[in-house]
Amino acid sequence: MRKKCSCKLLKLLGKLLGKVALIGLIGFVLTFALYITNGENKLIYYVIRPWLNKHYDSQVRDRKV
Amino acid sequence: MKLTDKLLAPIDKALERFDPLWQAENGKGGLRSRYYDKTGVAKWREWRGVKDTLYDYTAWLNNILSMVQMVASAPLPILKGFWEYRWMGSYLGTFMFIDRLFEGYRGTELRIAHMNMHAIVQSLTKKIAFGLKNDARLGGGKDTYNIIPHDETITPLFLKGFKGLYPFPLQTLPEFIICDIDQHIEPYYIDVAESYGLPADVCSRCAAETGVAIDDAFPLVGKVMLSTNMPCNASEATSMFQRRRIGKPDFPITLAMQHNNPEALPYSRQTLKDAMAFVEEHYGVKYDWNEFFKYARLMNEQNTIELEKWDLFKTPYSPLSGVAESLYRLYEWQSVNGQEPYFNKVDRKVIEIMRRAYEQKYRPFSGKTRHRAFLWGPSAVYYTDFPTWVQNCWGITIVLNMDSTMGYNMIDTEDPKKAMDDLTRFTEKACMRHHAVGGWDNINALWDWARNFNCDMILFNDNIACKGMLGTHALMEEQARDLGFHFIFVEHDLQDSRTVSRQDMRNCVNNYMSVVLNEKPLDPTIVEFDDSQAY
Amino acid sequence: MKDLKHLIFFENLLQDAQNELVSKAKAEGRLALGYNCYYVPEVLLNLPGCFSSRLRAPRCTSTDIAGYYMTNRTCPYARSILERAVEGGYNYLDALFGAESCATMDRMEQHFFLIKPIKNERFFVTQIDPPMKGDQTNLDYYKVQLRVKILEPLRERLGVDVSEEAMRKAIEEHNRLCRVVTEIGNFRRLPNPPITGYEFHVIQLVSQVCPHDLILPYLEETLEELRSREPEPKFPFRARVVLVGSEIDDEGFTKLIEGCGAMVVADRYCFGSFPSREEIEIREGESAFDAIARTYLYWNQCARFMDGMKIDQRTNEVKRLVDEFHADGVIYENMKFCEFWSYEKVLKSNILINELHVPTCTIEKEYALGAVGQLRTRFQAFIESLEIKHIQGGKNA
Repeated sequence: MRKKCSCKLLKLLGKLLGKVALIGLIGFVLTFALYITNGENKLIYYVIRPWLNKHYDSQVRDRKV
Repeated sequence: MKLTDKLLAPIDKALERFDPLWQAENGKGGLRSRYYDKTGVAKWREWRGVKDTLYDYTAWLNNILSMVQMVASAPLPILKGFWEYRWMGSYLGTFMFIDRLFEGYRGTELRIAHMNMHAIVQSLTKKIAFGLKNDARLGGGKDTYNIIPHDETITPLFLKGFKGLYPFPLQTLPEFIICDIDQHIEPYYIDVAESYGLPADVCSRCAAETGVAIDDAFPLVGKVMLSTNMPCNASEATSMFQRRRIGKPDFPITLAMQHNNPEALPYSRQTLKDAMAFVEEHYGVKYDWNEFFKYARLMNEQNTIELEKWDLFKTPYSPLSGVAESLYRLYEWQSVNGQEPYFNKVDRKVIEIMRRAYEQKYRPFSGKTRHRAFLWGPSAVYYTDFPTWVQNCWGITIVLNMDSTMGYNMIDTEDPKKAMDDLTRFTEKACMRHHAVGGWDNINALWDWARNFNCDMILFNDNIACKGMLGTHALMEEQARDLGFHFIFVEHDLQDSRTVSRQDMRNCVNNYMSVVLNEKPLDPTIVEFDDSQAY
Repeated sequence: MKDLKHLIFFENLLQDAQNELVSKAKAEGRLALGYNCYYVPEVLLNLPGCFSSRLRAPRCTSTDIAGYYMTNRTCPYARSILERAVEGGYNYLDALFGAESCATMDRMEQHFFLIKPIKNERFFVTQIDPPMKGDQTNLDYYKVQLRVKILEPLRERLGVDVSEEAMRKAIEEHNRLCRVVTEIGNFRRLPNPPITGYEFHVIQLVSQVCPHDLILPYLEETLEELRSREPEPKFPFRARVVLVGSEIDDEGFTKLIEGCGAMVVADRYCFGSFPSREEIEIREGESAFDAIARTYLYWNQCARFMDGMKIDQRTNEVKRLVDEFHADGVIYENMKFCEFWSYEKVLKSNILINELHVPTCTIEKEYALGAVGQLRTRFQAFIESLEIKHIQGGKNA
C-alpha cells in the first residue's frame, strides 16, 4: 500500500517536474528566440514608437512661459 | 580551464564566425555588420560565445523583470504616463540602449557592466513608478505631498534627514537619463524652448529643461521645489522657468562657485541650513540627524569602495572602465547618493571581482587596449556609448571620467556639526561642477588626474555651448603638448544630436588616430557609419 | 538742439581705454584699478590714491587672438577685452578686480594671470565669488568676498588706505558723481527732453571709464548747460523706449536705435545707469563698508540672481522705468552667447507683453556693432508698431 502510494507520488512529482521543465524549456526557447532575433526592439522601433509618436504629435499641450 | 569551458570550446569554435570581434579580427565584418542602416536596430543580437551570450540573455531577462514589476506596481499611472509624457515613450528604447552600451564586452567586463546596469534599471524603474504614482498631473497619490522635488544636481543625501519625506530629482526622468537612452527626445523640448525665442547657442541641456517646463512635462510632485546654481550659468537661468511653470515655492540652493576657497565653506553650509529650514517650514517635519547618519554610512561605504576601485583603475587589470564605470558612478553618486542599499551590495560584489581580476593579472578587452584615456569635461548625453565605441574601434580605454570624481570625502556619522561641514564639501562637488567651474585650478587638475591614473591620452569633451569649458581651449591644448599627452577635443552639443552628430564626434577621434597617430582601427566597420536614426 | 560743449571731448575719451584723463591720473602716480562687472563696487576702487576703470575695448574689430584662447563661441565682450589686453591696451592697470559672475567672464579674467598680457610688474588679478540671492546669507558672503578679494589685496599689495574714514570719503565723492549723472539722466523723463539717449549714454560711459575727480568738473558743467539748454521745438522722436539687457558699452548702439526714431529714455543694462548711479546711504550705526555691500546687493539687477525676490525685482524695475520715464516700449537685448540674458529676455519679454501689456522687442547683438542692417530693420518695425499704437490711441497694440 505504502509502496504504491510513494510510487504514485513519485510519478506525480516526476510529471510535475517534467511539466515545469517543459514550460521552462518552452519559455527559454521563446524568450531566447525573442532575445537573439532582437524581436522586442524591432517591434518597439518599427511599430510601437511610431504609433506613440503619432499620438504625441497630435497632443494639444498647454504651453506657456 | 573549467570543465564547462572545455565543453563549450568546440561550440564556440563552430560559431565563432558569428562573433563580431572575430569577424573584425579576420576581416569578415565587425560590430556594425548586424545592423540595419541608420536605424541602430540590429538584425540579431550580438553573439559573444555561448557563456557570454547566455549571461547577456539572463541580464536582459532580469531587466525585463524589473520593468514588469514597475508596470505591475502602478499599472494605471504608468499607462497614463505613457499617454501624457513624450519622454515616457522614449524609455521603450532602454533595451536597445543597454545593447549599445556593452557591445564588444566579454567575460568579466560584461558581468560587472550588467551588474551595474541592472542596479540602475531596478532603481530607475522604481523611481518612474513612484514619480508617476504620485504625479498630481495624473491624479496624484498618497505621497504626492511627501515628496521633495529638487534639482537633479543637488545631492539628495542631505534631504534624508527628513524622515517620511522622499527626495525626487525633478529633471532626471524627463530630461537627463532619457537623453542617454534616446538621442531624438531632447531636440523636441529644445525646439519648444527655442520657439519662445531662446537662442540656439545656450547649453542644450538647459534649453531642454526649459522646454520640458514650458511643455508641462515635469511630474507635479511635492509642496515646494529646491533649485540650485549647480552646475553653471544656464542651469541657474533655466530654473526661473521651472519656478514659474511649476508654480511652487522654491528655494535656490546657491552654493559657492569658488568652492575650494576657505570662505566658501561657511557660506555654503549656511545655505544648506537655510534650505533645511525651508523644508522644515513647508513640510512641518524636523530634521533628524540620526536618520541622516543611516544614509551617510551607506554613502561612505559607496565612496570607500569607489576609492579602492580607483586604485585598481590605475593598473592595466581593471575589468571596469568606460561607460560601465561612468554611468554607474554618475547614477550612484548623483541620484542614489546613499539612499539605496542595493547599490552597496552591488559595490561589494564588484570590488570582489575586481580584486580577483587584479590578482590574476586579468587583461580586459582581450588585451587590445592601446591607449589609456582620461575623459574630461561634461560628456555628450546623447552619445553615452561613446566610450564603448572608442574602445571597440581604436582600443582606447577610458579609465575614468571627470564626472566620476565627484565628492568623495567621508561624512561624519556621529557629530551633526562635523557632518554638516562634510556634507557641505560633499554637496559642492557635484556632477559637472567639481571641476568645470570655480576657478582655474579645478579644471587644470586634469593633468594630475591623468598622470595618477597612468593615462597617455586625454579625450576632452568640447561641448560647443559650454562657456566655461570653451574659455580654456588653447591653454588646455598647449599644456597637453608640453606635458606629452595625446589630446583630442571631442566636439558635441550635450543634448542636441542635430548640431554635432554622433558620427561628427567619432570623426574627431578618427582624424586624430589615423592622421596624427597613424593607427589602424580594430574594427573597420565602426569607423564611419550612419546611426542618425537610432535612438 | 545746440551741441553740448563737451560732447566731442567726451566722445574722444571713449576712443581708448587709456584715455587722456586716465593717463593724467597715472602721471600723478595714482593706481588704476580695472573691473568689468557691477558686482565689484566701483566706489571701493576709488579709495584715496586709486581710480576705477571699467574695462571696454573700443574700436575692437577682430578677436582673433582671444578666439584662439577662448574659441569664437564665447561672449564677444569677454573676448574683446582679452584681445585688447593682449594688444597692450590695458598696460596702465595695476590690478584687475574680477568677478566670477559668468563662466566666460571668469575664464577671460583667468587669462589675465595665466598668459600675463599686462605689462606691469605689480599687476595682479583677484576674482570675487558673487552672490546669487539677495538674502542675509548672501549679503554676508558678499561682504566676505569684498573683504578678502578687494580690500585686503588693496591694503596689503598696493598699500591703499581702506579705513572707515577713507571709505566714507570715497562714498561722499561717489555720491557726488552719482547725483550729477542722475540729475542729467532725469531730464529724460521730460516730455521733450533737452538731452538725447545717445548723449546720456556717452556721459554715463565717461563717468565709468575716467577717474571720477577728473571727469566730474566736466559733468557738472554739462549739467548746468542742460538746465538752460533749449530742446527741439517738438519732440524729435517717434517713440520712447527703455533699453534693457546685457552689456552695452558702445554708445553707437543707442545712436542706432535713436536713428531709427525711438529715444532711449532709460538704460537698464550692464554699463547703464540703472543700476550704477544710486547714492550710497550710510545708515545709523552702520559702517561705510556695510553700506556699500548692502547698496550694491540691493540694486544689482544681474540676471544671474536666482531668488524670487530678485527675479521679481528685475521685472518691477523695468516696469518702474517704463512708467517713470514715460516709455512706449522696451527693447530687450542680449549679447550673443550670454546665457543669463538669453533666458531673462525670453521670460521677461513674455511677462511684459502678456501680463504687464508693455510692447516689447527682443534682439541679440554682437559686441562691436555688426549686422546693423538687420538690427535697424527690427528697430524700425518695432518703432512703427509703437507709433501705430499711438495713432490708434492705445487700441490694437
